[in-house]
Amino acid sequence: MANQRTPPPRDYLGEFEQLVLLAVVHLEGEGYGMTVRGEIERRTGRSPSIGALYGTLERLEEKGLVRSRTGASTAERGGRAKRFFAVTASGMRALERSRRLLDAMWEGIPGTGDAR
Amino acid sequence: MRAELDPGRPPRLAEWLLRASAPAAERECMLGDLEEEHAQRARRGGTRVAGRWYWAQVLASLPINLWRRQRHAARLVRSTSRSTNLTQILQDLRYSLREAVRRPAFSLLVVGTLALGIAANTAIFSMVDSVLFNPFPFPEPARLVGVGPELPKLGRELSFWEVLSPLEIEDLREQSRTLEDIVAWDMGNRTLAGEEAPENVFSAFWWGNALPTLGVEPAHGRGFLPGETESGEKVAIISHRLFQRRFGGDSEIVGDTLLVNGDPYVVVGVLPPRTLIYGTDLWIPMGVAPGVFPRDRRQFQFLARIAEGYSLRDVNTELETIAGRIAAEWSDEYEEYEGWRLEAMTWNRINVRLLRPMAMVLVGAVAFVLLLVCANVANLLLGRSAARRQEIAVRQALGAGRGRIVRQLLTESVTLAVLGGVLGVALASLAVKGLSSLATRMALPLPADIEINGRVLAISAAVSLASGLLFGLAPALQASQRAIGGGLRLGQSRAVGRPRQRIQQVLVGVQVALAVVLLFGGGLLLHSLIQLNRVDPGYKTEDLLTFRITLPWERFDQPAITDFFGRLTEQLEARPEIRSAAATSQLPSALFSARQIVIEGQAPPTSEGSLPVAFVTAVSPNFFQTFDMALLRGRTFADSDDAGAPIVTVLNRVAAERLFPGEDPVGRRIKVGAGDERPWIEIVGVVAAGHNAGNDREPAAEVFGSVRQGLGANQLFVAVESSVAPAALVETVRDEVRALDPQIAIYAVQTMEDLIASDVLPRHMAVQLLLVLGAFALALAGVGVYAVVSFAVAQRTREIGLRMALGAGRARVRRWVVGRALRPVLVGGICGLLGAAGVAKALESQLFEVSAFDPATLIGAVALLVAIALGATLPPALRASGLDPAVTLREG
Repeated sequence: MANQRTPPPRDYLGEFEQLVLLAVVHLEGEGYGMTVRGEIERRTGRSPSIGALYGTLERLEEKGLVRSRTGASTAERGGRAKRFFAVTASGMRALERSRRLLDAMWEGIPGTGDAR
Repeated sequence: MRAELDPGRPPRLAEWLLRASAPAAERECMLGDLEEEHAQRARRGGTRVAGRWYWAQVLASLPINLWRRQRHAARLVRSTSRSTNLTQILQDLRYSLREAVRRPAFSLLVVGTLALGIAANTAIFSMVDSVLFNPFPFPEPARLVGVGPELPKLGRELSFWEVLSPLEIEDLREQSRTLEDIVAWDMGNRTLAGEEAPENVFSAFWWGNALPTLGVEPAHGRGFLPGETESGEKVAIISHRLFQRRFGGDSEIVGDTLLVNGDPYVVVGVLPPRTLIYGTDLWIPMGVAPGVFPRDRRQFQFLARIAEGYSLRDVNTELETIAGRIAAEWSDEYEEYEGWRLEAMTWNRINVRLLRPMAMVLVGAVAFVLLLVCANVANLLLGRSAARRQEIAVRQALGAGRGRIVRQLLTESVTLAVLGGVLGVALASLAVKGLSSLATRMALPLPADIEINGRVLAISAAVSLASGLLFGLAPALQASQRAIGGGLRLGQSRAVGRPRQRIQQVLVGVQVALAVVLLFGGGLLLHSLIQLNRVDPGYKTEDLLTFRITLPWERFDQPAITDFFGRLTEQLEARPEIRSAAATSQLPSALFSARQIVIEGQAPPTSEGSLPVAFVTAVSPNFFQTFDMALLRGRTFADSDDAGAPIVTVLNRVAAERLFPGEDPVGRRIKVGAGDERPWIEIVGVVAAGHNAGNDREPAAEVFGSVRQGLGANQLFVAVESSVAPAALVETVRDEVRALDPQIAIYAVQTMEDLIASDVLPRHMAVQLLLVLGAFALALAGVGVYAVVSFAVAQRTREIGLRMALGAGRARVRRWVVGRALRPVLVGGICGLLGAAGVAKALESQLFEVSAFDPATLIGAVALLVAIALGATLPPALRASGLDPAVTLREG
């Protein structure tokens, strides 16, 4: 089964994609590169690279799961603009579907009932 | 303390690395994000920790950033860095090819235009290169020279064929220091016999060994030995193609014996391949010493090499001295030496000088076509760059530098140019094959061996790349000059459209001008050809089959020759399908043998005047009937004018008028050639004169003698008039000849009409090529006009809508569009006419009964062009007048 790669379906979310999407949800439309990275690091202890983060955000945006807008710049950023990200309705639906899939798989496995 | 207030900047090098590696779209956000967090971390943990973190982020992001940039580059937006490397060039190339495939019509138009232009160029250059610049495969061709005389007294211009007498050649051999390896030759026909059917072979008879002169080694055996060509040795050298065809390429043939006109000759050598002098397959010695010929028997060609250390100019200086010495010594006896001169010319030049003007016309024409192609492609690319304005603006907005964009656009145009070049060379190789088969029908000194050689390939590659850069540059620079903002907003087209439109209009003007020049030049030559074909030759040409027979002196004496031709024509005429048959030493339209004429009772002309000359032709009595030449005075030859009767002659009208102005020549007497021993001949009649030296020349003076009175000709043409197809007649003729003598071959079989057509073949060929080029030029000009008008309409959709909304009728819009389009056409047309005037001057020598400012051609060319231009403006004009103002105004 090793190399049977088929392209993932449009609404399939990888693990890192889920993390990024959830971080964006948490930040309620005010998330931008640094804060999304910070949110993931704060909650999971993982410190993704800024490049990986933007790569994923771009993919999510292409799939229509997030949208972005260019915001104001601040002095501490060297006068550079922020790009804010917000989850779209289909982004929310994709997250819920991923969660249902995982729940269905976890169901009945002992000792995990109240893991969350 | 200070560190808390001022966290410091992120590490410079890391920052630079991130800037260089990040995808353009996110470069600013990433730099901002990292800088912001770097500041936070620096405040919390110090600059050092923050710096290390920053480095870790940049390095961890490097692979994915680079990968994504590559992807972006391949997808939407071209990459943004200023650096040049192979990857970028490959990117540009891939993108260019994808662009080309995405717009098939545009790409086909550009590539096709270029391919046809380059094909025409490569093919014509290949032909000119092998026929004109390099016709002979001999080493050091610049040292291989022929010598020919100019004899003003005999009215003979400088010529190099059948021009020198053996004694003159001996004078040159003895006196010249600047020439070495001197050889001389004559050509004629011999019959090769053996087990197979007798075969006529065109042969060369030599004094001297020509192989060192030509600078070639025999393929097998040897050349002629010193003295061998004068002493009557029966030795032969055969051409490589005869060696292959008749002897199967077996080198054992050297030392074997051939029957030449019934005489045994020992084969001593085989010529190398491609050494075929005027198609002579058999080389044999002249067999006699030069001294046996009279000093004025000028029927030989001269060939030599310039000796080491001398130039062509040295040779000609020396020839002037030698000619002067000969004149001083001999002009009492031979008046024609007064004012004569000798000139040496390279053999290449001698052989191509008649073809050269036509070939230069063609080269000029294809150069024009290539210019037209470049203008057309530039025009198309300009139109394209308008459509891509937005894409370029986006790229600039995303940070693409001007150099980067220029390079991308240049890559695109060079890609198209190279595709066009490759396709063009492929087409050219086809065209060259066609030209080769055409050229072999022309009388070239060597078989035309036209191929696309390395030099020609390099020329066309350079031309195609140069034209790519040339036409790529204008749109590329223009496209990149604009401010970023302009192109991003739709409808902002007019401000930036204006200069481009001006360039496009100039280009269309140039195209039209070039097309006018080409059309006019082609038209003049076409008109000349039409005039030429309209010429009434003045003798019969239809239903005539001609062939030639050579009777070997070895077996036929003069009475036998007369008898043979008399019986042959008699037997041919006895056949029901043959109306008439006549023998003649030379055919009308292709006269070659002219002699000096002496008139009885008339003092030789003063030293300024030229001696009277005329073509001298031996004919059978029914020649005038077969060729339908009307008798004007007296009578033609009768059967009773035979060897026993006094010798009589018939003049043509031109000879009569020239030799006896205002007098009746019948009853007067003349001599052919100077010298006391020659007999006086009585004139018995005058016949009408036709264009006997070719339809593009005035009828020449011609003096006829009767074959029956034995005029020393052993090879005669026979013309047969019949209603049967010539192909069917050939077998009949062959049978009749065989019945008379099975050892005799017929050759040079062709109809009289073909003979005349072959006269105008080079001209015909040039006109055909020019017409094709002209049609191509016309099509290109049409495409150019169409492109510029379409573009203008697209640019002004809004303006047109506004005009229509304000009440302009559709007809008025159409008029407006057409009027705007025709302005560059008119300006270009006028410039073209000025250019055409120059071209017409240059063409003058090639014209026949057509003025260089032929009004019919002028009007025709202009009318054709205006029609094409109008046709090209019509579709966009109709499109413009069909616009819905409501829609265009809303969208605009």
